[in-house]
Amino acid sequence: MKQRALNQCMKVSGDPYGYLKEWKGNNNKKIISCFAMNIPEEIIHAAGLLPVIAWRSNESVSIGHSHVASFNCGLTRSFIDDVLKEKLNFLDGVVINRMCLQAQGIPFILEQNTKWANIIYMSLPALYGSDCIRDFFKSELDRLIIAMEKCSGNKITTGKIVNSIEIYNHNRKLLSDIYEIRRKNIGIISAREMLSIVHSSMIMPKEENNKLLLEVIEELNLKVAEGNHKSGIPVVIYGSLCQTPHPELLDLIENTGMVVVDDDIFIGSRYFVNSLDISDDPIESMANRYLSHIPPCPTKGDYKSNWSTYISDIMNKNKAKAVITLMIRYCPPHMCAYPDDQINFEKKGIPEIMLEVEHEIISLEQVRTRLQSFVETIGGI
Amino acid sequence: MSEYKLNRLETTKLIGNIVDKHWASLRHAKENGEKVAWCSGPVFAFPYAMDMKCHFMAGYSAYAGGRGAAQQLLEIAEEDGELIDACSYHKLHMGMAAAMRKNIPVRKDVILPLPDLLISGRLCPEMSHYAEGLYRKMGVRVTGVDVPPPHQKSEIKYFEKYVERQIRESLIPALEEVCGKPFNYDRLTEILIVLKETAMLRNECWEYLKLKPSPWTLWDYGVSIAPVFYLMGSPEAVPYYKKLKAELADRAAKKIAALEPEKSRVYWDGWLPWAFLGKFSRIMCKLGMVPLVGRYPWEFFPHPETIDTEGDPVASFVKQVYSNGGQAKDNMPSLNLPVIQNWVEDYKIDGLIMFSSKSCRMWNLGHNDFIAAIERQNGIPGVVIEGDMVDTRMNSFAQIETRLEALAEMIEARKE
Repeated sequence: MKQRALNQCMKVSGDPYGYLKEWKGNNNKKIISCFAMNIPEEIIHAAGLLPVIAWRSNESVSIGHSHVASFNCGLTRSFIDDVLKEKLNFLDGVVINRMCLQAQGIPFILEQNTKWANIIYMSLPALYGSDCIRDFFKSELDRLIIAMEKCSGNKITTGKIVNSIEIYNHNRKLLSDIYEIRRKNIGIISAREMLSIVHSSMIMPKEENNKLLLEVIEELNLKVAEGNHKSGIPVVIYGSLCQTPHPELLDLIENTGMVVVDDDIFIGSRYFVNSLDISDDPIESMANRYLSHIPPCPTKGDYKSNWSTYISDIMNKNKAKAVITLMIRYCPPHMCAYPDDQINFEKKGIPEIMLEVEHEIISLEQVRTRLQSFVETIGGI
Repeated sequence: MSEYKLNRLETTKLIGNIVDKHWASLRHAKENGEKVAWCSGPVFAFPYAMDMKCHFMAGYSAYAGGRGAAQQLLEIAEEDGELIDACSYHKLHMGMAAAMRKNIPVRKDVILPLPDLLISGRLCPEMSHYAEGLYRKMGVRVTGVDVPPPHQKSEIKYFEKYVERQIRESLIPALEEVCGKPFNYDRLTEILIVLKETAMLRNECWEYLKLKPSPWTLWDYGVSIAPVFYLMGSPEAVPYYKKLKAELADRAAKKIAALEPEKSRVYWDGWLPWAFLGKFSRIMCKLGMVPLVGRYPWEFFPHPETIDTEGDPVASFVKQVYSNGGQAKDNMPSLNLPVIQNWVEDYKIDGLIMFSSKSCRMWNLGHNDFIAAIERQNGIPGVVIEGDMVDTRMNSFAQIETRLEALAEMIEARKE
């Protein structure tokens, strides 16, 4: 089967450094890393810069541990480790959102250890539901606009932001279409492949990624026609805020008799859900998106939202039989939210298993055994 | 027998009763028909102004830790599904909630009445997670105040306005609704007047920490923090600090040191290890090491002379959190580094101890970079020690002792 586009996604996702260095060499444009969730990339894009989402590398953390204790999340440790190993020298700056204490502490380490001129810190607010919160969010965007204009030397106009929103919305639509193909054709694409598709969108310029995703859709439609799908117990994965889960872990899930039919992870549907309204006031549109309670996000101080209900809705939509929680180790927002989600899944009779995801190589054999047992309990093999 | 002698202060022996009285009044508030709030972040002065009894998240955690109840509450929380790596303060509250829900017998003095209002002061994101967890479990009304720490000086005024507006538009209306009466601005002013007097006395006490040898230590100040924070405005606050100041003046005149002989003077970064102050004290005494200053204990109204007791009390309070130093400003390392470098000179510091809490990531990112930067400028060594404020399982005292011994040796070597 032809899968050139899918292979290209896998290639970009597997070697983001190589891709970005080559892209920068060819395009001579600045690259800004977004750390990590909820950064309004459209503003960075409208400045003529390339926003890319920060990722954890495939390398074990070594010198980074001289700056970040081992009891911090893998993304934080790996990002700092890559900075110190000078693997991120192609970046021209970083925009960090205050989504957790680790993100709150990173700017100081970067200031002490990099020569980046652009270390932008955003304090996107908690969803406490007042006009004041909305106004503050918009003023944070105003500050980002000023910072990105300074970084790029380009004026960011309303028209440019609207244009960027259209490009980003198209990307969201294409990713959403791919998810819909998976929903209608369970097993058509593996969880590892889906991860690489979304990851490619986080790395590549959206204009190029949109072309690539159109090809991916064509390839998937051909595959649908061929009718060669993997089967298994349909499950939904959720969690994995900010940090890339191990692709090997996703393989294990699908090699033990289950098939991932949908997800609610950051390098997954959380990244593209909710398009922005196209209007004369794009800042208001961005506020509407950020201040939405869907998908529930434990980093937003949103005490009223119920993540487990959202997940069970996704399960119902996909006729999934179980949910797998991907818990990033040392992710305080998810750690604090999980106990109630677990109780709610139990109350609703939803089979659930939590897998703790570390940056370092985890004991896959132990995970395999747990997953095999889980499959047996939900009536599988 | 140790070659060092620790001279305990008489005044600090009074704090136990003062703190106990506060928590007892909170425990019995409902019986007395009083409204109760639970609060994280620095905004509990506002429920106090409404004559509510109010808990303070970190204060309760320090109290439970100091009373030896932390371990049981943490284990109850974990049996209820909480994860071991989550914030200990968060888990203590979840443990208390689980004990209440399930009627698990625990010490009565660490069980508080359910609040009429949960105030989520989001100074650190975990401070909102505890409110989220309690809301989900107890369904208690929540009102939130986002209190972002500034990263650079230009943000201070901007954040100050944001927080002030939230207090006026969200917190005060919520308090008025819960209490069924208008907000008492005069009472808030009265609280600020007492706070100002207390904190100015406290600052005079701080000056004694600059003496060499020092007549008191950071641990003494640690146990004396409540009157300048969650006991703000209480009638015991000013008399306590007057007595403390008098005792320190007497010691200074008689040249009585807190630890004799005082071999080295150290800076302490991060949370105070509330449940283990005695253990740390014993280890450090053996090394002749005196902790004197730290950015966490210094965040409580360091410039009380700027408290405006004539004007608008809401604006005056928020200024203490931002423009005039305080909690929000002191949580960002980039703003702290020059402050610590000055303290090293002012307090004649010989070494740095960075207490890196395994369950709270508020302070620990940047510890090594702090040490490197201060060592470059001030030429003093530092160590990072890993542990927890209240969770026994996360403190390996054998390792901690070894690291502190290493610091003592480094200090000694550099002096030579």
